[in-house]
Amino acid sequence: MGAVYLPSQFGVMFLPLANVQVKPGDKLRITCQYSHIGQTDSQPLYAAIGNEGWAGFNEVLHGSKTINVPENATWNYHEEYIDITITTAISAGFYDLYTKIGGTFPKVISPTLLDVVEVMAETPESEFGEISITDYAKV
Amino acid sequence: MAQYADIVEILAPGEAAGGSRVDITVRIKNTYSSAIGIMVGGALEYGVSPWPDISFPDPSANVDGGATHSFSGYFTMPDKKVTIHAYSYYYGGDGSWHFDDEMTKAIDIAEEIESEFGSIEIVSYARR
Repeated sequence: MGAVYLPSQFGVMFLPLANVQVKPGDKLRITCQYSHIGQTDSQPLYAAIGNEGWAGFNEVLHGSKTINVPENATWNYHEEYIDITITTAISAGFYDLYTKIGGTFPKVISPTLLDVVEVMAETPESEFGEISITDYAKV
Repeated sequence: MAQYADIVEILAPGEAAGGSRVDITVRIKNTYSSAIGIMVGGALEYGVSPWPDISFPDPSANVDGGATHSFSGYFTMPDKKVTIHAYSYYYGGDGSWHFDDEMTKAIDIAEEIESEFGSIEIVSYARR
């Protein structure tokens, strides 16, 4: 079970989240919501799978695309998705997820969702192990 | 003081973004005792010469005595503060339009807000 830790008036709130199982060849679609004000803008939307640690987020796989934001005279919320292709570069296990807008110097970064992606081991190639006679009768 | 075609007011926003269309209304009152032809005109003062005209699709109307008519117009906001000059004319018995009144109104250039992102959060994630 994944989780996200959110600051609240009571300290840190633990919000349990369902995890999603993926395996190499799949795509993980991440939908995010962001707020914007001001002139039209084009910025990279970026999402990554990895592990949050004391030294930051250790990315394993990521996806990015350019979003074109219309002019907003007041704060407006927009929704956008981004796909991450699951490859064999990631080993089986539980991983964290985050998104951001902007390049080297991000404009905004989302809270990290902990342990929400479970990467399953690749299904092995077809292989037959043994065969034995279980019955014999006249037909 | 106008003789017959008194400009009552100019309705326009206090500010507008450069390059945007600005819609205005000029309200002109016929102070004469019976109906006369009234025409509106307008120009923009912001440091260029000659002053660009304001477009009024229906610039003239027959207005009853004592009535006020609203003339709609528009222009493209330049990249600096502009002063609207609205003019009124009445149609005289000599078959000519006669200048009568003028009113001005300033429109500031709206400050454009730089693009800014406030927050982002993941709302869902799913295998495709």
